[in-house]
Amino acid sequence: MSSEPDPPAMAAISLWAGVACPNAAGRRSLDDFAALIQEFEALQGSMAFEDEPSAFEYALRAEAETGA
Amino acid sequence: MSGLAELSVTAAADAFAKGEATAEAMVQACLDRIEAHDVQVNAVIRLDAAAALEAAAAQDKARAGGAKPGPLSGVPMMHKDMYYRAGKVSTCGSAIRRDFVPTVTATALQRLDAAGAIDMGTLNMAEFAQNPTGHNAHYGDCHNPWGLPYCTGGSSSGSGAGVAARFFAAALGSDTGGSIRLPASICGVTGIKGTQTRVPRTGVMPLSFSMDNVGPLTRTARDAARIMTIISGSDGIDPTAAPEAVPDYEAALTGDLRGLRVAVPHEWFFDSADDIVMTGFEAALEVLKARGATVDFVACPSLRAIGAYVAVVSRVEGATIHANWMREHPGDYAIHLSGRLYGGYAIPGTYYLEALSRRGALLRQFCKEAFAGHDIVATPTLRMRVPTLAETDIDVDAVANWARHMAVSANTRPFNYLGLPTVSIPCGFDDRGLPMGLQLAARPFGEGRALMVADAYQQDTDWHARVPALAATTPAAP
Repeated sequence: MSSEPDPPAMAAISLWAGVACPNAAGRRSLDDFAALIQEFEALQGSMAFEDEPSAFEYALRAEAETGA
Repeated sequence: MSGLAELSVTAAADAFAKGEATAEAMVQACLDRIEAHDVQVNAVIRLDAAAALEAAAAQDKARAGGAKPGPLSGVPMMHKDMYYRAGKVSTCGSAIRRDFVPTVTATALQRLDAAGAIDMGTLNMAEFAQNPTGHNAHYGDCHNPWGLPYCTGGSSSGSGAGVAARFFAAALGSDTGGSIRLPASICGVTGIKGTQTRVPRTGVMPLSFSMDNVGPLTRTARDAARIMTIISGSDGIDPTAAPEAVPDYEAALTGDLRGLRVAVPHEWFFDSADDIVMTGFEAALEVLKARGATVDFVACPSLRAIGAYVAVVSRVEGATIHANWMREHPGDYAIHLSGRLYGGYAIPGTYYLEALSRRGALLRQFCKEAFAGHDIVATPTLRMRVPTLAETDIDVDAVANWARHMAVSANTRPFNYLGLPTVSIPCGFDDRGLPMGLQLAARPFGEGRALMVADAYQQDTDWHARVPALAATTPAAP
């Protein structure tokens, strides 16, 4: 395990999910989050107030191959 | 007839139907291949040799008695060890489920059984279908038949390696982020994931309920078309399965690409791509053009958002369903899997719900960008040459190998978020002799279109027909 201080995400995971960091790979997996947060920040404003998960099944049919 | 293990699905079924080969002889030929070479490849988890030979003999007897053969009669198959068959162990590639015996049989297996396929057993896979390389710490890594130090792709590692090695004619895999298309590309075979909701998932181990797909790995697009026709369509049990009628995909394989418009996205799929991959992809496009297709580069700015959202959905869903085991015995997972699952607990619910909520709008946007003036999207299946098992082993060195390991599925993941039917077919070999893949995606429910293009390509090329030269080995004494 790294000698670096534990990132805040580890405390949050322990508090909310009761899961302990299993190994160095687990710690490494948290390193991706800075980039993920940046990507979500860049998308702020793109979600419409009415968007919801069930729109996906509707879109599958609306965009279906003609004659399929 | 010689080379029975090399027969494709349709060739094997035809040979059986015409009385040119017995089911027993075809199964025995595959068992002989497995006995000779699986010590190198490690594709098999459980071999049901006696039961397969018994089923084959029963089919031969029925045919001799005048019974009409099914579309898969006599065809030897094996499947990723996450398709439940009642009363048989399904390990899911894990230690945790080493002794798990389901009480149900997967709808896909029931449909293959009814079509006459002979199930010879179960196949190696990434643990709980959760890595793109095929590493497995519990049952041993699966090895690429084209080069044993190289990875097979995952998570359907045994399915890809076994079809390539001629251990069986076809196998079911599953695809949540590329797990059918990656081993298909990396092992030089054909693989398809259908439209999200096209094939019922009843009796199949879950990973991510939003993005899991059932599909076959085969040697030809025609084989994939036959199997998709058989396994697709609602079963009345899986509430997510689409009720739309299933066309005869095989009947649509006309080979006619005149007027076909192929779109190649500018964005995403070529970021840091290896030169040899680009060369192989461009050559594949020339084959399509020679049959009458036109090719255009198109702008798909939606891919930036798709790339961000897809990273969240399966990770959160996978972490959620594994939470009890992660709390109670995390040490029973491979290092890379518990590590990957762990990060999923830190992703906020608002991110997850945003990713799911944007999916419909982004599918519409992508279709407008890519399909408004085009029929099919083409990309390389992998951006990189096939890596070795050592280069992508994050159990050994998570820090050094993490980025390379995760990059393997960069080109396949977007189509899981979009839910589009997508095929991977072999399109050449890299400078180290490892296969490369061409990925073809169609509009929702356009499996027939994608398979038609793939079949047309295979009519003019022989990459899919090449056989890896595995050295003969003597099995170790029991």
